[in-house]
Amino acid sequence: MFLLPLWTDITTSFKSLNDLINTVPVQPPLSPTIEPLIAAFNIMKRPLLNSLTFTVAATILSCLLGSINGYALTKIKFRGSNTIFLLFSIGIFLPYQAVLVPLVLTLSRLGLFNSLVGLILTHTIYGITITTLLFRNFYGLIPDSLIMAAKTDGAGTWTIYRRIILPLSLLPFVVAAVFQFTSIWNDFLFGVTLARGSEAMPASVALANLKGTTEFNWNVQMAGALWYALPILIIYLLLGKYLIRGYMAGAIKG
Amino acid sequence: MVDITIKNLTKKYGNTIAVKDLNLQIRDKEFFVFLGPSGCGKTTTLFAIAGLIKIDAGEIWIGDELVTSAERDIHKPSQEREIAMVFQDYAIYPHMTVFDNIAFPLTIRKAEKNEIEERVNKTAELLGIYELLNRKPRQLSGGQRQRVALGRAIVRKPKVFLMDEPLANLDAKLRVQTRTELKKLQLDLGVTTIYVTHDQVEAMTMADRIMVQKDGVTEQIGTPDELYNHPSNLFVAGFIGSPEMNLIDCTLVEERKGFYLDAKEFRIPLPAKMPSELGNYIDAEVKMGIRPEDIYESKSSEGPTRENAIRMTLDLIEPVGPYLLLHLRAGRIPLVATVKHTETEVGQEAIMEMDPSKIHLFDEKTTQAIM
Repeated sequence: MFLLPLWTDITTSFKSLNDLINTVPVQPPLSPTIEPLIAAFNIMKRPLLNSLTFTVAATILSCLLGSINGYALTKIKFRGSNTIFLLFSIGIFLPYQAVLVPLVLTLSRLGLFNSLVGLILTHTIYGITITTLLFRNFYGLIPDSLIMAAKTDGAGTWTIYRRIILPLSLLPFVVAAVFQFTSIWNDFLFGVTLARGSEAMPASVALANLKGTTEFNWNVQMAGALWYALPILIIYLLLGKYLIRGYMAGAIKG
Repeated sequence: MVDITIKNLTKKYGNTIAVKDLNLQIRDKEFFVFLGPSGCGKTTTLFAIAGLIKIDAGEIWIGDELVTSAERDIHKPSQEREIAMVFQDYAIYPHMTVFDNIAFPLTIRKAEKNEIEERVNKTAELLGIYELLNRKPRQLSGGQRQRVALGRAIVRKPKVFLMDEPLANLDAKLRVQTRTELKKLQLDLGVTTIYVTHDQVEAMTMADRIMVQKDGVTEQIGTPDELYNHPSNLFVAGFIGSPEMNLIDCTLVEERKGFYLDAKEFRIPLPAKMPSELGNYIDAEVKMGIRPEDIYESKSSEGPTRENAIRMTLDLIEPVGPYLLLHLRAGRIPLVATVKHTETEVGQEAIMEMDPSKIHLFDEKTTQAIM
C-alpha cells in the first residue's frame, strides 16, 4: 500500500498526454513513452546537478566536522565542553524559519546569496548539530583506554583521530551521511529562499516550478519527481545494510 | 639509568584528594608495584607518570629529565615520554591486525619498513603469538589479547613500562601463569617497571619493592619481605597476607618477670628483650597482631600449663590443600591459624601457642607499629 504513490509516479511518468487523460493514474500506460522523462530531465538537468553538488559537498563536510566535534567532545576533555555540547543540542531544535532572515542577510553580506557555496555553507552548518550529536554518542562507546594507549604509543591528537577514531567510524559515517544527504536533498525552504530562480537553483525548487500555472503536465511533473527521487533511492539501496547495522549501533567493541 | 623520582605529588579531583603529597624513588630496572584497594590513588599516580593527567602539585622525573612539574608548569605530553603502557582492558585497536597493533608505536615514529617487520616478528616470537599476526583482535582470546598489548609495549624498547592491572581480566589459572612469564620478561628486558594492582599476591610474587597506598596516602614502601614481616601500620598488616593477620585488642602490662599482653581471655608473655619505647605503652590499649602460621598447637608435655599456651575452641576446619585453616575462639576472641595437621575435632578444645617473637604491636590511636 505504501508503495502505491511510487507506483503511480512510475506509471504516470511513462504516459503520453493522451494516456494521461484516458487512464486511471494507477493503471499502466497503454503506449509507454519516455518522452516525459526526457522533457523533465532537460528542464531539471541543471538544478539536479546543483542539488547533487551542494548536497554531496555539505554532506561530506557536515559529517567530517561532526566527527571531529564528536571526537573533541568525548576524547579531549576541555573546560566548557559540556556547555558547548548543550549549545549544539539546542541547535538541533532551531526551526529553519527562525534563522531565515538573519541567514539571508549574512549570506548576502558575504556575497554568497544565490550561490552554491552559500547553500553548501548553510547546509553544512545546519547539519553539524545533528552529526555532532550522532558522532559524540558513538564515540562515547569507544573506550578511553584506547585513546590513552595510542597516546602512550606516541600518537598525537590528530594521529589518534586519523589512525584510530576515523577507521572505527564507518557506521556512524554511513548513518550520518544518509541522514544528511536525505535531509539536504529534500530541503525546499533554504533552497527557495537562498537560490530561487538563479543558476544555483536546487532540484527541489525546480520540481515545484514544473507545475506551471496554466498547464497540468502531470506526466512531466511525475517524471521530474522520479528523477528527483533517484539519488535517494540509490543511496538507500547501496548503504541500506550498513544503515540497519548503524541503527542497531553499539555494534563495535573495543 | 632510568630511575623515576616523584616529589610532593598531589592530585585532586574536585574536592577529593586522589593522591596526597607522594614522595617516591623508583630505581633503575626495578619492578615496582603500587598496591592498594580500589580508589586508593594508585592508578592516578600511574597516569600522572604516563602524562595522561595533569597534577596539582609536585614534580615527576624520568631519568634525569623533569617531565612534569606543577609549579614550573611543565607537562611533557604522553606521546613524547619514553614510556609504554599496558591497560587492564588491553586497549588493542580493534580495526587493526595483531601485526599492525604491535607495529603501531613504530609506524607512528616512521620507522623503516624492514625494521618494523623484524622487530614485530621478534616480539611476537618472544610472546608466542607469531601465528596470530594476521588475525584481528576479535578473533583472539583474552590471554592472547593481553599478549598483543604486551607486545605493543615492548616492541619499541621504552625506558619505562607502566602496567595498570594487566592481569585482572584473565581467569585465575592464566593469571598465575602470565604472572610468572611477565616477571621473567621484565628480568630479561631489564626495563624499569611500575605495576599497579589490588591483588596482594600478585604484588608479593612479582615486586622488587611495593608501595602500599590507601586513600591517596602512602602507607608503606618496602620489599615484599619487609611488608610481610615488618608492617609499619595496621592497614598494611591487615592488607598483606592471606589469610589475614589476627588483630586482637590488648592491654600492655608490666610485671616482675617482664611484659605481658592481656587480652582479657588470655595473657601472652613478650620476649625478654623489648625496645625501650614499650615503656610508654604500659597499661595502655594496644593492638596485637599475629599471623595465622605463627599460631600452632601446643606439642609440649607441659600442655596447658605452659605460660604461652592458650585454651581455644575449634569452630571450623577449612582444608586448603597445603595446610588446614583452623577457625578458633579464645573465649569471645576469634582467631585463625594455619597448621599442617590436627587431631583435634570441631567443637573440641585445642591448646594453642603463639610464637612471642612473631607478635606485632600497634598503637591503637595512631595505628602505627610499635614493634
